[in-house]
Amino acid sequence: MTKAEETTAKQEKDADPAPAAIPVTPPVSVSPPTSALPPIVQFEKVTKTYDDGYTAIKDVTFCVDDKPNAMEFVTILGPSGSGKSTILRLIAGLRPQHPATSGSVLVSGQPVIGPGADRGMVFQDYTSFDNRTVEDNVAFGLECRGMPAKERREQAREWIGKVGLNVDRDSTKYPHQLSGGMRQRVAIARSLILGPKIMLMDEPFGALDPRTRLNMQDMLVSLSREAQATVFFVTHSIEEAVYLGDRTFIISSAPGTILKEMPVPPPDFPARVMQQQPEFMKIVFEIRDIMEKLESSTRAGDE
Amino acid sequence: MAQSFRELMILRNNPPPMLRRALGALGIVLVVFVWWLLTRGASAETRIISPVLLPSPGEVVRSVPGLFSERGLIESTVATLKRVLSGFGLAILVGVPLGILAGSYRLFDAITGPLSLFARNIPVAVLIPLTILWFGIDETQKTMFIFIATAPFVFFDAARAVIDVHERYVETAQTLGASSRQIISKVLIALALPDIFSSLRSLFGLAFGYIMLAELVNAKYGLGYLLMSSQRRALTEHIFAILILIGLLAYGIDRLLLFFERGLFPYRQASE
Repeated sequence: MTKAEETTAKQEKDADPAPAAIPVTPPVSVSPPTSALPPIVQFEKVTKTYDDGYTAIKDVTFCVDDKPNAMEFVTILGPSGSGKSTILRLIAGLRPQHPATSGSVLVSGQPVIGPGADRGMVFQDYTSFDNRTVEDNVAFGLECRGMPAKERREQAREWIGKVGLNVDRDSTKYPHQLSGGMRQRVAIARSLILGPKIMLMDEPFGALDPRTRLNMQDMLVSLSREAQATVFFVTHSIEEAVYLGDRTFIISSAPGTILKEMPVPPPDFPARVMQQQPEFMKIVFEIRDIMEKLESSTRAGDE
Repeated sequence: MAQSFRELMILRNNPPPMLRRALGALGIVLVVFVWWLLTRGASAETRIISPVLLPSPGEVVRSVPGLFSERGLIESTVATLKRVLSGFGLAILVGVPLGILAGSYRLFDAITGPLSLFARNIPVAVLIPLTILWFGIDETQKTMFIFIATAPFVFFDAARAVIDVHERYVETAQTLGASSRQIISKVLIALALPDIFSSLRSLFGLAFGYIMLAELVNAKYGLGYLLMSSQRRALTEHIFAILILIGLLAYGIDRLLLFFERGLFPYRQASE
C-alpha cells in the first residue's frame, strides 16, 4: 500500500468500536507428522536463468504443507523485478519461466509438467474474455470440461453471487461494461468455480483503487477459506501481505531469493478495521525495516 | 460563432457528429461547384475545359438513364460483383484458416513469413498476363486473379489478428484447464475474429479495385469493360457516371459490412 492509500484507509475509520486486539503472536504452525500427505508445494533450490543469462530467482527453497481444512494463505512480498511472479509461474507451469533451470518444483509431491485447472491463476491484467458475457466467462473452465450449458450456467451464476456481483444485473454483461474491480471478481470466480487446490494470484488488486482493494481483500479472505484452496498471493504492498497472509515470504531483488519467511496474524477482522490497528501497523513497520535492512545487506554482500 | 470556430480549430478536436456529416457534404458540394464552374457554358467553345475531356455535372446525370437502358449497367454490375465475390470468397476460405494456423503455431508463421512477404509485394498488374496464361480469358481467370491478388493479404491479416491476441488470455485459458484445441477455437479465434472481419472489410475494397484492372484488359462485360468501351466510343460522361456509381456501390457495401460487424461483435466498438 502506498502512503496515499494508507491515509485513505485511516480516513475511512469505522464508527464501530475497535474490536479486540489482534493476536500478534501467530498461530504456531503445528504440522502433525502424522499427516501422510506430501507438501502441496515444495521448492528445492530452484533457480531460473534465461537464455540471455539473466537470473530471475536463485536457490529458492520453501515448503507449504497440505493440511486439509487448514489451507494456508501465503503472501509473497518483494520489490518489483524480484522474481515474485517467477515463483508463481513456476507453480502454474507457464512458459518461459517453466521449466526451472535447476532445482525441483513439486506440487503434491509431483513435478510440475505444465499448466492445469488444479492451479488457478489470477493476473493483474484484466483477462476477461471480451467476447463472453460474465456468465460465460465464469463458466469457461466448465465448458472446457464438457459440462452441458444449462448446468454450467447455473453454477456460474452461483459463483457470480459469491464474488459479490449482482447475479441478475451482471451475469449477461460483457467485460467492457465492467469496472476493474468487477473484472477481477469475474477472474476469481472463474478460477474458484473449478475447485482448484491452489490459487495463484499475481498482484490481482494492484491496479485497483484503495477502497475497492480493501473490499476485494475481504471477499478473497472469506472465499479462499470456503473454497479450501492454498493461496499464493504476490503483492508489493506490505499491508496487503500482512493482512491477507498466514505466512509471508520476503523476496530480495533479482536474482530473487527468499530473504525471510515469517508468520503473520490471520485476517480475522475486516480489512479496513484490522489494517488500522496499532498492532497491525507495528508488524507492517517491522517488515518494512526488515526489508530495508535485508536489502541493503544483500546489496553490500554482492560481489 | 467565433468561439465555436476556435473550438473546432483545437488540435485533434472532434466536431460534433451532425456537423461532421455536414462538413463532409460541404466537401462534396465544393468539388461539384468547381466542376460546374469549369464546365459552364452554352457551347463547347465557351467552356474552360472541353466537354470531350470533362463533361458538365448535368451532362453526366442526364447520361445515367442511357447507361441502364442501352449499356446494360445492371448486368455489368452483377457480373463484376460475382467475380469479386468468387475470387475474394475463395481467398477468405483459403487465407483465413491458414492465417489462423500461422497465428496459433509460430512454426508455421516462420515457414510462411518470407513467402507471404514476397506474395504481398507482387505488383498486381503482373498477375494479369500470368493468369491469362494459366486460366485463359474466361471467368476462371478473373476469379483466380482476384484470389491470387488478395489471398496473401487475407492470410497475413488473419495471422496478425491471432498473433495480436495477448498471451495472458492463452495463459488464463491454460490455467482453467483448456486444451490446445480449445484455446484455438474458444480463445484465439474468438478474440481475433473482430479484427479479422474488419480487415476483410477493408480488403474487400482492395479486391473491388483490382477487378476493374482485370476487366479493363479483357472482358465482354463488367464495370471495367463498360469503362473501357466508354472511352473507345468517346462517351466521357459515361466514364464519370460509372466512376461515381462505383464509388457509391463501394460505399454501400462497406456500410453493409460495417452493419454486420456491429451486429456480430456487439462487445467491440467497430471503427468506421
